Amino acid sequence: MIPHFSFLGCSGKSTVKHWICLLITAAILTSAASARDARTVMAELMQAERAEQAGLIEELSTYGDTIIADIYEAWRTGGIYLLEQDGGSQLLQFTDAQEWALVHNGAVISLSEAEAAAAKKQRPARALRKQMKRIIDTLGLKADNTALRIDSAIKLGRSQKAEFIPALEARLKVETDKQVRSALQEALAISWLANGEDAQVVEAVQTLKALNSVAARAFLEELMQAEGDNERVDSSLSDACAEALISIERHMKQQEFFGSFFRGFSTGSVLLIVSFGLAITFGLMGVINMAHGEFVAIGGYVTFLVQNFFIQTWGLSSSAFGWYFIVALPVSFIVAAVIGLIMEVSIIRFLYRRPLESLLCTWGISMVMQQGFRLIFGAANVQVNNPTWLMGNLSFAGFQMSYTRLLIILIALVVVALTWLLLRQTNLGLHIRAVMQNRHMASSLGVPVARVNRMTFALGCGLAALGGAVLSQIGNVGPSMGQAYIVDSFMVVVTGSVGNLLGAGLSAMGIGMVDQLLQPSLGPVMGKITVFVVIILFLQWRPGGLFPTLSRSLDD
Amino acid sequence: MENSFKKILSLVAVAAFALSASTVRADDTVKVGILHSLSGTMAISETSLRDVLLFTFDEINASGGVLGKMIEPVEADGASDWPTFAEKAEELLAKDEASAVFGCWTSVSRKFVLPVFEKYNGLLFYPVQYEGEEESPNIFYTAEAVGQQAIPAVDYLLEEGYTKFYLIGTDYVYPQTTNIVLFEYLLSKGIPVENIGGGIRYEGDVAVSAGNYTPFGHTDFQQIVAEIKDFAASGDACVVNTINGDANVPFFKEIAASGLTSDDCPIVSFSLSEDEFRGLPTKDLVGHLGCWTYFMSIDSPANDSFKAKFQDWLATDAPAAVAKEGRVTCSPMVLSYNGVYLWKAAVEKAGTFDTDAVIAALESGISFDGPGGTVTTQKNHHLTKSVYIGETLEDGQFEILEVMPDVYGEPWLKGTF
Repeated sequence: MIPHFSFLGCSGKSTVKHWICLLITAAILTSAASARDARTVMAELMQAERAEQAGLIEELSTYGDTIIADIYEAWRTGGIYLLEQDGGSQLLQFTDAQEWALVHNGAVISLSEAEAAAAKKQRPARALRKQMKRIIDTLGLKADNTALRIDSAIKLGRSQKAEFIPALEARLKVETDKQVRSALQEALAISWLANGEDAQVVEAVQTLKALNSVAARAFLEELMQAEGDNERVDSSLSDACAEALISIERHMKQQEFFGSFFRGFSTGSVLLIVSFGLAITFGLMGVINMAHGEFVAIGGYVTFLVQNFFIQTWGLSSSAFGWYFIVALPVSFIVAAVIGLIMEVSIIRFLYRRPLESLLCTWGISMVMQQGFRLIFGAANVQVNNPTWLMGNLSFAGFQMSYTRLLIILIALVVVALTWLLLRQTNLGLHIRAVMQNRHMASSLGVPVARVNRMTFALGCGLAALGGAVLSQIGNVGPSMGQAYIVDSFMVVVTGSVGNLLGAGLSAMGIGMVDQLLQPSLGPVMGKITVFVVIILFLQWRPGGLFPTLSRSLDD
Repeated sequence: MENSFKKILSLVAVAAFALSASTVRADDTVKVGILHSLSGTMAISETSLRDVLLFTFDEINASGGVLGKMIEPVEADGASDWPTFAEKAEELLAKDEASAVFGCWTSVSRKFVLPVFEKYNGLLFYPVQYEGEEESPNIFYTAEAVGQQAIPAVDYLLEEGYTKFYLIGTDYVYPQTTNIVLFEYLLSKGIPVENIGGGIRYEGDVAVSAGNYTPFGHTDFQQIVAEIKDFAASGDACVVNTINGDANVPFFKEIAASGLTSDDCPIVSFSLSEDEFRGLPTKDLVGHLGCWTYFMSIDSPANDSFKAKFQDWLATDAPAAVAKEGRVTCSPMVLSYNGVYLWKAAVEKAGTFDTDAVIAALESGISFDGPGGTVTTQKNHHLTKSVYIGETLEDGQFEILEVMPDVYGEPWLKGTF
């Protein structure tokens, strides 16, 4: 048998290296042996008849090799091919490195184009997948990644199968990581609920109470129900269950509160990021920019184009693809800023101090732009895929925060910080503030008003597109995408006081928070309505918003 | 001998007819209405149905028309606005005197045109999956009723061993009605109330609404996904999704980000077909389920020929307004196609275009071998047809997992379990 070189990470071409590799491989042949055997069984399983599958799966469960999980994952996601030739058929895996590897021993081989085209994609049947999942799960207990170990422990526990108890106990003995240990304890306790003697069950209930296990809730309820039906004299078990349930409920309420808090923060960040551009064009400059939403859409479409460029140049599965989003952020800012600049020079500059005309005009522009998107990109939404590094989530004290949401919060903070620096610490910022306070006075003091107007409007449009780029990661990119956010944007800016960036930031966070805290009890529809009512009442009370501008001018 | 001579003669006649089709006089044609939104929010979905209808009419005209008359389509744009639908329906029936109308997508548009069709004794073929609880004498529902989509899907999930169902949808009549029927059905199958997630609203003792609802175009699903995650924490849970339109994108993105996979908690969606996948990140949907009475991936000669002919038509005969790139076929399209052929067969059986005669012929039970298998009209204006359950693949197609042949179309399900 050919040793599997790439498995050792040395697939260099030099012969010396080659021989060293071979030696090392020979030295650890004992450990590698199980890898090869597991591979063989996997290869057999892929071609087995339905009746033989059960036996092979049983055999697979005796191996603890993670290679099973790798091959299975490839099989499940369409990375395994069958090549039928005159000399017999071969099972091949198309690896992440764009190479063909034999399934039964992992050796990399090269295929001619005709052969590659003739290879047929293989897929596991759904019934088989369910069984395989169980094997993959016990493999997970031995994985290097702690998240995988936790995941696997939870799944094993949930199945409440006695057969997994030894595996869980064995792992608990050697496990050092605190989080994994608690997951293992939880899994074991849930398993004992269904499989233990009376004393063991009570002990398990107490463990679950101490762990505040959300997953155990349904099992505890079930157990209590069963106890109630039995009408036993000794009610210690159902009492323990009831106590545990109360404790878990309380814990969940706490989690729910913190969760809502985080989600409110994240919704607030989304609002902030889409409305910050408007806070500049409308808030500072006084242009009622109805086309703001379309600049958000430009951001989404630019992200889509950048993504397509990356796919065409490097391919969807390459590691370079993941960077497209980072590149898309500045590109969408620049593209929208340039379009904004053109719009300011050609249209907006004639409309300062004429709010009604600017409203009508920008509304028209927004329709023209929407129709433009339809012409160029089609009426249907376009697909924007998330880069791999943005998928998944961070577990913190029991609740989860997805990476996309965390990134949005981060970007919102950075945008606010940079804008603040720009306005407060640079010359341009000084000019912008001067012009926005009093155009004529600034002009007579030598500030280049026309240029400052252009730059400010471009900045606002660029920020809108930045929002669009970020939104592409959590929502739709389509011609009417901007319409979904325009109302929210104006709401944020008006509530936070027109002309006050800090106010816009605070009102975005406040609205997001109120929205998410109301949602669990009122539902999304009533929640949204209530938020609007709250804002109307707030504006009745403080028509100027959070931080109304104090002015001596008679106009204001 | 004489027989084949007749055949040749008739073929020649048909050919001559086809050649002269461009110059036919008005009395050689029969007017048929297309009533779909070609502008506004629903245009994305409904334009595909207009396209497939035009294709079907061209196909029928090329083979001799109906009762020797060429079909002359009259397009009316409902503009995603329900009163407009009613106006256009009136125009089609009163002014154009359309023999039959094919159209409507949303249930609310159908509810608006229903009185118009009953007033003018018209005939409407409705092709999109709907909530049931309706049976107009002037409408034929080639669409999937709840019993031909939602119930088979839930049956499949029950068989697979799922015991907890979370219901989520967009807040309007189709999801609300479907979910309340499903709620009753799940209870009848022995699923306890606490295993049905999303919230149940009671008026007195009667459940009037089951599931969690969001507005059209909802963008923030964090709270709901967190709830689903808690719901699925103890395993064996699945989600029944009746969210309509592009709100599905943020929903599935949030699901993917939360780490819930299709193996932990599969989501079965009733409003996502191949056509919708053109604008969705299918990567986030892989492994989740769909249930329709047609899938593009059905491997049958009838489907292969349908797909090939449609693509040919797109490449050669389609009018300029029809999008040509990356077109797929999906259930509502095929149900539109079936509707036209059923109407043709009924007219030929009745020997006249008269509405009452055609309705009587349809009610007597007419079969058509469509791309999704044989469909047969029923007395209650619905169709008996095969139901398919499929799993989403990364290329936006479905892999068929199960076929339920000849499912009877029953619109009245509420309160029957």
